[in-house]
Amino acid sequence: MYPRPIPPTAPLRRGVYIGLVSLVLLLWLLPLFTVMVTSLRSFEEVMAGNYWGWPKSFNLIENYTAVFTQTAMARYFVNSLVITLPSVVGVLVLSTLTGYVLSRHRFPGANLVFALFVGGNFLPAQIMMIPVRDLMVALGLYDTYAALIVFHVAFQTGFATLFMRNFIAALPDELFQAARSEGASPGQTLVHVVLPLVRPALAALAILTFTFVWNDYFWAIVLTQSDAVKPVTAGLSNLRGEYVSAWNLVSAATVIVAVPPVLMFFLMQRHFIAGLTVGAVKG
Amino acid sequence: MSRLWRRHGSWLAPTLFILPGILLFGVVIIFASLQTIWVSFHEWDGVGAMVWVGLDNYRQLIDDPQFFVSLKNNVIWLVMFMAAPPLGLALALMLNQPIAGMRIVKSLFFIPLVLASVTVGVVFTWVYDPTFGLLALIFNAFGATAPALLSDETFVTVAVVIAALWPQVAFCLVLFLAGLNNLNEELIGAGRVDGARGFAMLWNVILPQLREVSFIALAVTVIGALRSFDMVAVMTSGGPFGSSTVLAYQMYEQSIFSYRFGYGAAIATVLFVIMAGFIVWYLRTLLKVEEGNA
Amino acid sequence: MASVELQNIEKHYAGYHALRDINLTIEDGEFAVMVGPSGCGKSTLLKTIAGLESISSGRLLIKNRDVTKEEPGDRGIAMVFQSYALYPHMTVAENMGFGLRMAKRPRAEIEAAVARAAAILRLEEQLDKRPRQLSGGQRQRVAIGRAITRSPDVFLFDEPLSNLDAALRTQMRVELSTLHARLGSTMIYVTHDQVEAMTMASRIVVLNKGRIEQVGAPLELYNNPVNLFVAGFLGAPRMNFVDGTVRTADGRGAVVECEGGMSIPFGQLEGRVQVGEHVTVGIRPEKLTLEDIRSSVTFPAEVRLVEHLGRETILYADAGSLTTSNSDSGTGAFTVQIGDVTPFRPGAPVVIGFEPRDTYLFGADGRTVSAPKPVARL
Repeated sequence: MYPRPIPPTAPLRRGVYIGLVSLVLLLWLLPLFTVMVTSLRSFEEVMAGNYWGWPKSFNLIENYTAVFTQTAMARYFVNSLVITLPSVVGVLVLSTLTGYVLSRHRFPGANLVFALFVGGNFLPAQIMMIPVRDLMVALGLYDTYAALIVFHVAFQTGFATLFMRNFIAALPDELFQAARSEGASPGQTLVHVVLPLVRPALAALAILTFTFVWNDYFWAIVLTQSDAVKPVTAGLSNLRGEYVSAWNLVSAATVIVAVPPVLMFFLMQRHFIAGLTVGAVKG
Repeated sequence: MSRLWRRHGSWLAPTLFILPGILLFGVVIIFASLQTIWVSFHEWDGVGAMVWVGLDNYRQLIDDPQFFVSLKNNVIWLVMFMAAPPLGLALALMLNQPIAGMRIVKSLFFIPLVLASVTVGVVFTWVYDPTFGLLALIFNAFGATAPALLSDETFVTVAVVIAALWPQVAFCLVLFLAGLNNLNEELIGAGRVDGARGFAMLWNVILPQLREVSFIALAVTVIGALRSFDMVAVMTSGGPFGSSTVLAYQMYEQSIFSYRFGYGAAIATVLFVIMAGFIVWYLRTLLKVEEGNA
Repeated sequence: MASVELQNIEKHYAGYHALRDINLTIEDGEFAVMVGPSGCGKSTLLKTIAGLESISSGRLLIKNRDVTKEEPGDRGIAMVFQSYALYPHMTVAENMGFGLRMAKRPRAEIEAAVARAAAILRLEEQLDKRPRQLSGGQRQRVAIGRAITRSPDVFLFDEPLSNLDAALRTQMRVELSTLHARLGSTMIYVTHDQVEAMTMASRIVVLNKGRIEQVGAPLELYNNPVNLFVAGFLGAPRMNFVDGTVRTADGRGAVVECEGGMSIPFGQLEGRVQVGEHVTVGIRPEKLTLEDIRSSVTFPAEVRLVEHLGRETILYADAGSLTTSNSDSGTGAFTVQIGDVTPFRPGAPVVIGFEPRDTYLFGADGRTVSAPKPVARL
């Protein structure tokens, strides 16, 4: 292990270490803490300029209810879910299929296809913005959930294919030889051999995709216009303009946007980290 | 049908499996990206017919001071973002201790990574607020008046990049912690027996083992810097007076607000060329690494 | 002069007692081999000597200097790791010279030391290569070379041959013994392979469950194990153990009765066993005979499996309710090692015999009660 572990027999050094880490952590998350505390303050307090003192009253319920009732946040939140969940499912299905074929079947151009998936995944969003927007308008999907779902599934399939290909490629060859020697078709191999083994990878991929899609802002403002389809990210940006002085409400809305990905992360932390590092390190 | 399937199943099934992915990705991502290059040779308002103008849009770019502001800002992003891997490594070295509770502490350090960039943008707009922000608090403590960073043409980009570094450092931290977890214990033991310690150990024994992770951290950081859009859009909308635009934002602005889709496409193409150069380098290095491991 | 002295060493991991009261002195120039089953603490013990693991209590002296609290690099030791632990980004020469570089020695001295070690290990041609361009045996040599370059007081080896194939392992065994003879340095070697221990050691340290069971020269341990564990651990194929009960024990001698009514007479045991005590009789496979009417004790058995090794043959034979623990076959069958290549077939009935004077007797607590007297054979 590096650096060398501080031994439990050196309580003083441990104490200093823990103190130091706590201080850095406090500074690291200070911006977030203040936003969270502000989301509890009353409007009067915010108007009076008390941003840093101890809150005079805790308006947790009032503020968060206000965000959901007085603003369109509830709508945005539902929109985000309606966009994100089908996107995740779509990405999982497509990338399992592409990853399986790319890792276990040789065919001419396989390397090119794989390189396109990986390379395309790094493209700046702006390079495809105009044609994608145009395509969605032409298909009549512009400003609908489907526009965002179709785009996210397409785009995330790039990264997800890389991820699944690497994972399936790491499975032992003997398994696939055994399946073939027992007469399993590619489809049967996929269902009976690959699927049961890639479950952890799918879990990791699901959280990553969820976070990526939920957090998207660019495509939200490019492909949607009306409040009826807008996801939380674009909604929060709007809200900030409308409620300039009601920082307590904007803060509450900010927290609401952050909760699902942070919650996902804490619930399935191991998968998240494994996914991110496997995707990155092996990629 | 069943006979046909049996005869051709060995290649037909894989083809059918991969087709939806290839089609969707091919049309929506790859083809659309190429189409942008085509659009960049036209003048187009996004609704009417496209008019071929050849290299006109690119000629205009060279005469557009705003384009060079964007380019310069992208360079600032890139240079400042280079701080993310070393900072991430420093944090990782600090946090890599097997003490009860460190797992939670590490997760708390990861939080900025999972926040939406809009969230980060809103949070930092708040931090930078010259009357009640965190920065104002610090300046006031020293009896000074806080500068309005986000309305200051000189400092605005630096301020936005610092905000963007927050999640980027967290990303590098995750990568380096994973790297530190995969260190070869016997190699460290060998280093200790050989008398390496402190910085000599880090430099000669640890960092060489983190080469792959460092490479990846560098790559995601470069891509993150070139892709920067959300933070600019949320925090400044390119302002004040276009002083904080980057290529990605200028392209968006020209297309969506000024209806100059051809011009926007040209900016996107320039960004693409820069990125493509980097991606080619990345993929070649990656393939070399894979061959080396085989 | 004592090279390494371990005094009352204890090691606790989180709730686990890894080393218990280890006392051991290793003399200058000795080739000490620590051997024991996995989890016995031998690797932990080696790492505490190296300083890679701290000790909970006790003292460690190298060359009469207390190094208990010193860093590994300051202890005058060098270590060869199981995975070789070569720095992958350095050339062979850089790997071997790294320790001296860290000690800030002049470049000329480092180069000379590397050249000397490379000559000893025939690595001159490989000096500019990187570890991944080398074969397993060459990597092993580089790891040893790295240790030699530092000219340490003590060499530590942590199962260094376990990653090599059988042929290379035998070769490296000879090379290591030769190296030891040539350098005359103190070497401490950890292995789970008792063949390595028997062939290379000047002294063997048998460890079990964090405790030293016995220390001694290889043949001394082979002939006079202090207890059931050492007797069962050393020797290949392994000693046969048969459970029995002491029927009589008096001034004229003792008789142990085993399952199936077989009685084995022993000499005078002077109260070292009680009548009725449950004991274990041990006999090495090479001391069992097949179809030899001259044997004093015999019992019928059936051949289960025959292994022809060329110069010798090993048979596994079932003897009904008379079973052996510690058997290599793991089924309770007796292991018999015979010199000639008689074509026994599985299923054939045989008569196994032995002489009571060749047997060991272990008491209920496992200590050795009686061992064969060394006999000068002509």
